[in-house]
Amino acid sequence: MSELKPRKDLLDIEGLELPEIEYVLSNAVPFKQLFQRSVKKVPTLRGKTVLNLFYEPSTRTSSSFEVAANRMSADVTNFTVSSSSVVKGESLLDTIETLQAMRSDYIVIRHQAAGVPNIVASHTGASVINAGDGYHAHPTQALLDAMTFREVYPDYQGRKMVIVGDVLHSRVARSTSTLFNKLGIEVGVLGPGTLIPPGRHDFIRRFRSWDEVFEWKPDAVYLLRVQLERQEGMFFPSIAEYHKMYGMNTERLVRMRQIGAYLMHPGPVNRGVEITDEAMRYERSLISTQVENGIAVRMAVLHWLKPETDTD
Amino acid sequence: MAAATPRLFQNGQIASAGAKELRAADVLVDENGEIVAVGVGLEVPSGAEVIDCRGCVLVPGMFDVNVHAREPGQEHKETLATCSAAALRGGVTGVVLMPDTAPPIDTGNLVKSAMDLVAELSAIPMWQAGCLTKGREGKEMAGFSGMASRGVPMLTDADRSVPCPDLLRRCMEYARDFDLLVTSHCDTPPLSKAGSINEGPVSYRFGLPGIPAISQEIAIDRDIRVAQHTGAKLHLQQISTARGLKSVQCAKEAGTPVTCEVSPHHLVLTEQDIRDYNTHFKFNPPLRPAADVEALIEGFIDGSIDVLASAHAPHTEFEKSSDFGSAPFGAAGLETAVPVMFDRFISKGIFGWDLLIERYSAAPRRLVGLNPVAIEEGTKAQFFVFDPEGETPVTRETMKTKSPVSPFLGKTLAGKVRGTALGVAWHSQE
Repeated sequence: MSELKPRKDLLDIEGLELPEIEYVLSNAVPFKQLFQRSVKKVPTLRGKTVLNLFYEPSTRTSSSFEVAANRMSADVTNFTVSSSSVVKGESLLDTIETLQAMRSDYIVIRHQAAGVPNIVASHTGASVINAGDGYHAHPTQALLDAMTFREVYPDYQGRKMVIVGDVLHSRVARSTSTLFNKLGIEVGVLGPGTLIPPGRHDFIRRFRSWDEVFEWKPDAVYLLRVQLERQEGMFFPSIAEYHKMYGMNTERLVRMRQIGAYLMHPGPVNRGVEITDEAMRYERSLISTQVENGIAVRMAVLHWLKPETDTD
Repeated sequence: MAAATPRLFQNGQIASAGAKELRAADVLVDENGEIVAVGVGLEVPSGAEVIDCRGCVLVPGMFDVNVHAREPGQEHKETLATCSAAALRGGVTGVVLMPDTAPPIDTGNLVKSAMDLVAELSAIPMWQAGCLTKGREGKEMAGFSGMASRGVPMLTDADRSVPCPDLLRRCMEYARDFDLLVTSHCDTPPLSKAGSINEGPVSYRFGLPGIPAISQEIAIDRDIRVAQHTGAKLHLQQISTARGLKSVQCAKEAGTPVTCEVSPHHLVLTEQDIRDYNTHFKFNPPLRPAADVEALIEGFIDGSIDVLASAHAPHTEFEKSSDFGSAPFGAAGLETAVPVMFDRFISKGIFGWDLLIERYSAAPRRLVGLNPVAIEEGTKAQFFVFDPEGETPVTRETMKTKSPVSPFLGKTLAGKVRGTALGVAWHSQE
């Protein structure tokens, strides 16, 4: 574990090796313990700068990175670009030049187009952390999900999780299922046929109903956020029907309790769509733990990556 | 070049569509650009330039029926001059220009203007295709009779399918009376939508919206049925899937006058070759899985696919430097088509020059009503000298197109076009 080759960027989960994953997840634990102390800061990144570059609004992820960077004593600049002003005018290459001039050591980027963090990473010495690109990847979400799962299941290998909802358009589903698979946690999916990726995904088991899911006895159920703005009646007939077919409701909560499954969600939740108010109070919900672990994991990622920006 | 002298191409091997074996011979081109003698051990006429072709193959000039030269209107991407230079580097001596310029070529007058530009600026013969619908908007029929009188070789909305089947039907019925070839880019926009890559495991992995195979296949089926109903002559561009090819085969078996083409990139690349969101691999139709590529190669060999066409569609490096989803479709293809086909097939013995000449020189000329060219006495010189031992580096510096954007960029292909003879001109590439 001591012989990790230095890595500049975190762009997706696919490219990660198991010792690297282990390194980040185990380092996140002491960072999290720090949160119990009155002084929650470490001096690790003093003098370093982190640029939070968000092309898509996301208060949660951007704040999580900001808090993580602050607790590492880095200087943080938040740069939120409203998507309307980007449509015309400044091209990606222009943006990259601007970023270069800012001389940040770490660039946290979220973009609506898949692959943009890869392009930025190949043009800068700064460490690029993908905070979500299109439908492609959201690696820190996957890492915080793994940390959360491993906290409740130290014997995580061979355990099972089912992801429910719009798997097709979800970067969370892509990254989390890939990471869980690498860690030896079996992943299944439940959702309408229109929102499940076509083709061969050997390691992913597909369920058609909650009955099938509960028969499988997953150790955790991961609800995805329904992207209300994306639907337009093309993928399922109505929100009400989605809720009826796939939502976490009272009746399903009973069966969750029977099998002792934990409940996860990447946030923010749509109450009354993928989850009811009652289910939000489920005693085995890990949703707020996920948020807390997000900060710890992001600190561990900042600690792990090695920018190539030092000139002296 | 102006004061033409005779040229003797000595000790080469002549390839032709009809013969599997190459034929050793010298070729003498006179000062009028005509081939006046073909034979072994020709005497060197006084004052003649001798081009040593030992070890090289003399190949009839290729003809590309799917070329976007971008002029007029998009000269920042490509011009007629750079396009023809790229063609000559690739051994291509004639092309059909797609009408998706700015403005789109949809009237006889515009065809005339375009052909005037060609006469002024291009180093090779070019034929301007006309639009099927006004402005390529898919709403009203374009001015067929005017374009026909200016000699358009085909009508096509180039990269756009005519959305309304009724309008397509009327276009085909009307075109039939002018004996005009209708050429379809097969795509079903409501299915391809925002897609930028073949739909399947690869698009899922990249997190990019996909273009499903049925988007092209449904359009192929529709256009074939409309052609059968109307009796129009139909040519289908850039077949990319096994199922689409099957439809063409069935139509041919039923006696439908339909032809189809394939592009080199769809014969040698698969969706798996797309790495790191490299937009030089972004095509419409997209690169497909290996099983489709295998079926296309089979169809290319057995003749279900009639024609090879480069779909030369340059975009600037800057335009291609945006994210994969936003970057435009297409790449430069004219100067790499022959080396790519040699590198991947001929050099490996999968098929011979005769097949490539049939698909990329003879059949495309017949498709637009021209006579195939051959290296024979009494014909105008129209051939290139190919060195099988040479190499074609594909780099920004070596490419002649204005926009050096290619999925083969950075590769060195086996074989090299040493130069192209076109009439009195010898366009050396050395």
